[in-house]
Amino acid sequence: MRRYTLIGPPDQAMNATAAALNPFDIPASQQLVDVLDQLDRVLIGKREQVTLALACLLGRGHLLIEDVPGVGKTTLAHALSATLGLDWTRVQFTSDLLPADVVGVSVLDTRDNRFQFREGPVFTPILLADEINRAPPRAQSALLEAMEERQVTVDGTTYPLDPGFFVIATQNPADQQGAYPLPQSQLDRFLVGIEIGYPDAASERALLEHGDTRRNATQLDSLLDEERLAQLRDACDAVYVSAPVLDYLQALIQATRAVGTGLSPRAGLSLVRLSRAYALIAQRDHVLPEDVRAVFPALAGHRLTGQVQSGQARAREILDQVAMP
Amino acid sequence: MSRVRGTWRRLFTRTDRNATDTPVDERTLFAMATVIFLVQFPHLFHLPIWVSLLGGGLVGLRLWHHHAPHHKSLALVLSPVTVTLIAATAAVLLRLDYGYAVGRDPCVALLFVLVAAKFSEIRRASDATVLLCLSAFLLLTQYFYSQTILTALITLPEIVAMAFAMAVVRDPHNPATNAQQLRLVGKLLIQGLPLAAVLFVLFPRLPGPLWSLPEDALARTGLSDSMSPGSIGSLSKSNEVAFRVEFDGPPPPPHARYWRGPVLTEFDGRNWTVSEQNTAATPWHPPDAKVYDYTVMLQPHRLRWLFALDSAASLPRADQGANTDTPILGQLMADRQLIANAPVTSVLRYRQSSVLSNAMMPAHAPRASTLQLPGKNPKAIAFAEDLREQSTSDLDYAQRVLRHFNRDTFRYTLQPQLLGDAPVDEFLFDSKAGFCEHYSAAFVVMMRAADIPARVVTGYLGGEMNGDYMIVRQADAHAWAEAFIDGVWRRFDPTGQVAPSRVEQGLSAALPTESAVPSFARMDAGWLRSARLRWDALNHQWQRLVVDFDNDSQKSLWERLGLINPSLVHIVVLAMALSLAWGLFLFGMPSLNRSGLSRDEALWHRLCRLLSLNGFPRVPGESAAEYLQRVSGEWPRQRARLRMLSHDFTTLRFRRTDDTQAQRTRARIQRELLTLALGIRVNRWQRTRRPVANAEHA
Repeated sequence: MRRYTLIGPPDQAMNATAAALNPFDIPASQQLVDVLDQLDRVLIGKREQVTLALACLLGRGHLLIEDVPGVGKTTLAHALSATLGLDWTRVQFTSDLLPADVVGVSVLDTRDNRFQFREGPVFTPILLADEINRAPPRAQSALLEAMEERQVTVDGTTYPLDPGFFVIATQNPADQQGAYPLPQSQLDRFLVGIEIGYPDAASERALLEHGDTRRNATQLDSLLDEERLAQLRDACDAVYVSAPVLDYLQALIQATRAVGTGLSPRAGLSLVRLSRAYALIAQRDHVLPEDVRAVFPALAGHRLTGQVQSGQARAREILDQVAMP
Repeated sequence: MSRVRGTWRRLFTRTDRNATDTPVDERTLFAMATVIFLVQFPHLFHLPIWVSLLGGGLVGLRLWHHHAPHHKSLALVLSPVTVTLIAATAAVLLRLDYGYAVGRDPCVALLFVLVAAKFSEIRRASDATVLLCLSAFLLLTQYFYSQTILTALITLPEIVAMAFAMAVVRDPHNPATNAQQLRLVGKLLIQGLPLAAVLFVLFPRLPGPLWSLPEDALARTGLSDSMSPGSIGSLSKSNEVAFRVEFDGPPPPPHARYWRGPVLTEFDGRNWTVSEQNTAATPWHPPDAKVYDYTVMLQPHRLRWLFALDSAASLPRADQGANTDTPILGQLMADRQLIANAPVTSVLRYRQSSVLSNAMMPAHAPRASTLQLPGKNPKAIAFAEDLREQSTSDLDYAQRVLRHFNRDTFRYTLQPQLLGDAPVDEFLFDSKAGFCEHYSAAFVVMMRAADIPARVVTGYLGGEMNGDYMIVRQADAHAWAEAFIDGVWRRFDPTGQVAPSRVEQGLSAALPTESAVPSFARMDAGWLRSARLRWDALNHQWQRLVVDFDNDSQKSLWERLGLINPSLVHIVVLAMALSLAWGLFLFGMPSLNRSGLSRDEALWHRLCRLLSLNGFPRVPGESAAEYLQRVSGEWPRQRARLRMLSHDFTTLRFRRTDDTQAQRTRARIQRELLTLALGIRVNRWQRTRRPVANAEHA
């Protein structure tokens, strides 16, 4: 069995500690590596992005993908849902989308003269919100509220969403004509913002050779189920964050505030959560500064400038300025 | 303890050279005025009024000048020339006022005037520095007058004000508020206190007269070498402490506390004086008598009397703890009075032993002077001769005389009427009212008239216990008589016949209504009295522990520390060690952990320092593991060690570890770091040597 790690070979002592601490044993954590490997086969050459997306899912956050069409955003959503054994729904956000189109609507049942709630597309484990910046703010905020609260309220009645509710939203940075860019406060609801980008030459060559991967994506084996995912999410919280790493996290957040609007304390907490998830994927029971460094641009990018691309560049500058522990 | 935040320009680095040459600003001026006022204030109580007014006036004028700078005449008065003239005039006036120039009082007064004069013409910051030194000296002169605890307390605010002024003079434009500066100065002073204490205890004391005060510095209170009617009575009005006594055992009962002082033999009909012909004697006491051992702290009285309880059984010795072989401070005379080797000009502490006895063996036969009568008191002599004929023996006669005082209408009073040329006659037959000197003088005259050798003894009777020590005051001054009967000198206290309570309970009991008795001698003054007794106890401790801390006390301290006769090197080393310890306590261990890093982080930083010392500095944005990997790539010889260090540091810094594991890892890291450091040092040393060796070859 191939073992993949991001940082270096895990040693025996660490594995023993991890086994003692986590509610799952190390072979089970190996499942995450298998998940990654499978996703990697679908989305060729995008290991970093796929890892971040998985970390985002484990960290109970939502994912914002900013990229031009055709680079595999939908494929990623497909592959994630299939691999994790979850259902998914897709909503194409357009300029005439109404909140009811997202959360659902109450309709009058003529047989017993009562209003009956028809669940909207948000009642799903994974929601792919395509071109979220095309919808007017009303529809956007309906979704964003659902993301934050993991529940929707229609006509005074509150309906809980799926406990693992996970949104993958996409937006097209190149085409801002007639778009409603997400405000800063709502961008903060997305734990991770990534670009997928074009594949490199070798990957693209392989892609061309093996044909459309989206069809492959629907035929993937499901490696996890909902229960297992919940366990892994709990395991994230048990990952140890040492004092020097916390100092580093704080220094990074502090550094973002030097120019313009920096990261909020809520973003700081998100950074801890994301680093833990990332460390767990790397099969470690503790966070290394390298984990923080790896997730920081994805976390900070869209929050700093409102755009993933420019924000991540800014975040990398900050990484170069702050000394690692 | 927190660091002192820097509102203090460093004292020894005069970065701002111009600061001393700039005109004095308002802040400095008022800080200096405060110092001058505080330093001047305690001197106002002893200076002539015109000196006080001159000093205060000059300070006031300068402040007024600051308020109204364009006032022409004021500027003229405060010009250096005028001020110099004023000071010179004051010097001349002082010489005329005091009648002498060199001595404590005129010199202090001159310094007082000079400080005020200097302040009045202060122009630049450098003047302020000079002035600070002058006022520091003026501050010290307060101790010429008094060394009590109160004086020390008075100087405290002065010291704070001076330190504050120093800070202001150094850095007048410091934006810190006065309150902040004061807080800083207070903190610095408090931090300096232990150092001052170390210096106080350890700094070698100069023994002897170098520290003693000029002649005029000592007040003159106490028994003198002569006695005339009224002299002791006037002494009884004084509350001053004559001496304090610490008994080794229980003190003698009040009626036996006769403190023997000058013995007066010569009589000219009115005045009693000490005999010129006196010889030394050796102390002696009956072997079965109870011996009282005690320590006397005698206030300076500028004469050579020492006081001992009743009959001295030893020679006075310096008090140096358990050491018995200490210098002898005086000698015992044939008339059993103690004479010091030198006038007592500072508080003198001596050990003494005594026995209680009202009959003393003579050292030699009574001299003729103990019988001598000038014949000015004929009535007394006639009465005495008459009475002697009725008596069966000398002792019987003495008893009859005492009974006469007892039965006749004699009164005991502090305010007797003034007596003329034949005071004994007038006292015995007319006024019949007097104080102890009247009674003792009359008794001695009557003895001598009956051909019995007799003499007047002055001293103190009584003493009040205050905690574990006894206070004897000037108010306890007393005079009694001794007569040579049956081969021994017997003590007779005729006052006791008239006012027995004087002997038993003290002056105030004997004179309940007379207002002239010092309020302090009264028993019933209540809380005021107890408060004053407590204050005296405090002053006593102050005197004992601080003022009397001299060469000898220091020596015994060294001995207690196990150092006999330490050399200066020892003392300096000890003082420096104590100062260093205090400094470390204040400012923390400077070299060990100044960064505030945790232990493990400090280790990591040490490795980073070591590696960058060897030419592998860390690149920003490089993680710890990557850094060590890079270095081990560039430095293959250390690869194994660096890989191990990398692993250990990851364990120590980022992983959840239990204590024993962390400790093991830490120990391994420390070991490896030491080896690495050694290797790097050796490398560097070799690298620096190689070019030199090459140069030699060339």
